[in-house]
Amino acid sequence: MSPLVKAPARLLRAFGRACLGFSRHVGGMAVLTARIAKATVSGQVSLRMIAQQAFEMGIASLPLVIVTGILSGIVTSQQGGYQFTSSIPLYVLGSVVTSSVVLELGPVMTSFVLIGRVGARITAELGTMAVSEQIDALYSLGRDPVPFLAAPRLLAGMLTTPILVGIANAVGVFAGLVSAQATVGLGTEAFLYGARLFWHSWDLFYSLMKAEVFGFIIPIVSIHMGLITHGGAEGVGRNTTTSVVFMIISVLVLDALFPPLFLN
Amino acid sequence: MIEYRDVHKRFDVPVLAGVNLDVHEGETLSLVGTSGTGKSVLLKTTIGLIVPDRGDVKIDGESIYSDRPGALQEIRSKVRYVFQYAALFDSLNVYENVVMGIPEERAKELGRDEVLSRIVRSLEDVNLDPDIVLTKLPAELSGGMRKRVGLARAIVGEPRIILYDEPVTGLDPVNTATVNRLIMSIAERTRVTSVVVTHDIEGALEMSDRVALLDHGKLKFVGTPEEFRQSDDPLVRAFADRQAAAEAALRLMEAENDKDDDAHGALA
Repeated sequence: MSPLVKAPARLLRAFGRACLGFSRHVGGMAVLTARIAKATVSGQVSLRMIAQQAFEMGIASLPLVIVTGILSGIVTSQQGGYQFTSSIPLYVLGSVVTSSVVLELGPVMTSFVLIGRVGARITAELGTMAVSEQIDALYSLGRDPVPFLAAPRLLAGMLTTPILVGIANAVGVFAGLVSAQATVGLGTEAFLYGARLFWHSWDLFYSLMKAEVFGFIIPIVSIHMGLITHGGAEGVGRNTTTSVVFMIISVLVLDALFPPLFLN
Repeated sequence: MIEYRDVHKRFDVPVLAGVNLDVHEGETLSLVGTSGTGKSVLLKTTIGLIVPDRGDVKIDGESIYSDRPGALQEIRSKVRYVFQYAALFDSLNVYENVVMGIPEERAKELGRDEVLSRIVRSLEDVNLDPDIVLTKLPAELSGGMRKRVGLARAIVGEPRIILYDEPVTGLDPVNTATVNRLIMSIAERTRVTSVVVTHDIEGALEMSDRVALLDHGKLKFVGTPEEFRQSDDPLVRAFADRQAAAEAALRLMEAENDKDDDAHGALA
C-alpha cells in the first residue's frame, strides 16, 4: 500500500476506534443510569449515604463555589464597565452582569469547580476500589455496587448542583454590583434598574436547568469511569484524567446546546 | 459441593483450558501452581466474578450461570471470598466491614445485639481484640490484621463455602503460620468447604485434604498431600521439594540461555 493510501486509512481506523470507544462509554453510562433509576425507585438507596455524599459535594464545595462566583461577578462587571464607558448607558451593566452570571458563568464555573473537586475524586475513589478488588468484594458479598456506591453519588450531585449554582449566581451578581460601584461609580439603584430592565424569570429557571443537567453529567461520567478502571495505580491515573477531560467536554458541549434549545 | 466442568477462559492468551474438578462437601482443597496459571481466575469463576468462555460451575448441583432469577445471589449468599489483599472497604471501619459479611436479610432477622455479638465472636476467632479494632479504619491496621479482618468478614455469616485467594501472600512467616492455622481451625470447627489458592506449599500440604496443581490452565495433579509428596511427576516434584524446585529452575534457566545462544548464533 502506498503511503498516500496508508495515512488516510490509519486516520480512518483511529477515527473508527474513537467512535467505538465513545459509543461504548455512552452505552455504559446509559445502562448505569437505568440501573441507578431502578435502584432509586425500588427504595434500595440509603438516605444516610445520599446525605453523606451531598455534604461532601455541597457543603465542602461551597467555599470554592463562592470564591468562583465572586470573581466571576467582579470580572464581568469590570470588563463591562470598561467597554461601556461613554458609549452605552452604564445602568445596562446591571443587566450584563446579571445575565452573564445567571445564564452562563454561574452554572459553568460551578460545574468546573465540581469537576475538579468532586468528579475527579469520585473517579479516583471508585477506580481505587475497582483495582483493589473492593468492587469485586461487594459483588461477592451479594451487594450491588449501584445502590451502594453509584446511586448516592448521582442523586447527591443532582440535588446539590442547582443549590450551589443558585448560591454562585447570587454572590456573583452581588459581587458585580459592589465592583460596579467601586470601579465605575454605578450606584446600587442604577445597577438594579438595569438588571430588572432585561430580566426574565425564565433566565433563572434556565440557569437551574443547566445546573441540574451538569449535576447529572458530572457524577455519571465520573462514576462510570471509576467503575470500569483496571490496571492498578496507572489505570486509576489514566481514567481520572480521561474522566476530567470527558466531563469538561460534556459540560461545554451541553452548554453550547442550551441556547438554541431553550433561549431562542 | 463445587463442580467445575470443562471451564475455559481466555484473556489475551488462554488462561483456563478445560478444567474439571470436584470439591467435596466439608473438604479443604488447595490449588497450587506457578504465577499466571489461572488459579485466581478459576476461583473467581466460582462466584461469577469472572464468567468462563465455555464450561460450567455448579454449587450444590445448581449452575451459578443458571437463568433462574436470583440464582447467583442465592449462591453468593452461601459462599464467601477472602481476597488476596483483604479488599476491605477503605471508608468503613472494621465493624462496618465485618457486618457486610452477614446477608442483609439475615442481619435484620438477627437484630442489632446478635449481629454485634457475632462480629465480636468472629474477630476473636481470628485473634483480634474487638475492643481495639472494632472502630478502626482499614488504613489504621497492619497487613496481617487486615487479612484477619477479611477472614472475620468471611466467617461471620457462617457460609458453607469459603474461597481463599492467596491468603498468606506478602505476610511474614509468623503471620503466614497464624493465617494458615486460622484456615485450618475454621475448617475443623465449622466443617466449611474451603478452596485455598496459595503459593505456600508447606502450608497447603499441612492444611488440605487434597491438593490440585494447575499448570498452563490445566489440572496436572489432584490428590492427597501424601500422594503429592510421593508423586514422580517432575512438576509436582518441583513444587513438593525445594531441592527439586531449585533444579527445575536451573534447567529452565539453562534452556533459556541455550535458546539465546542459538538466536545469537543465527544472527551472527
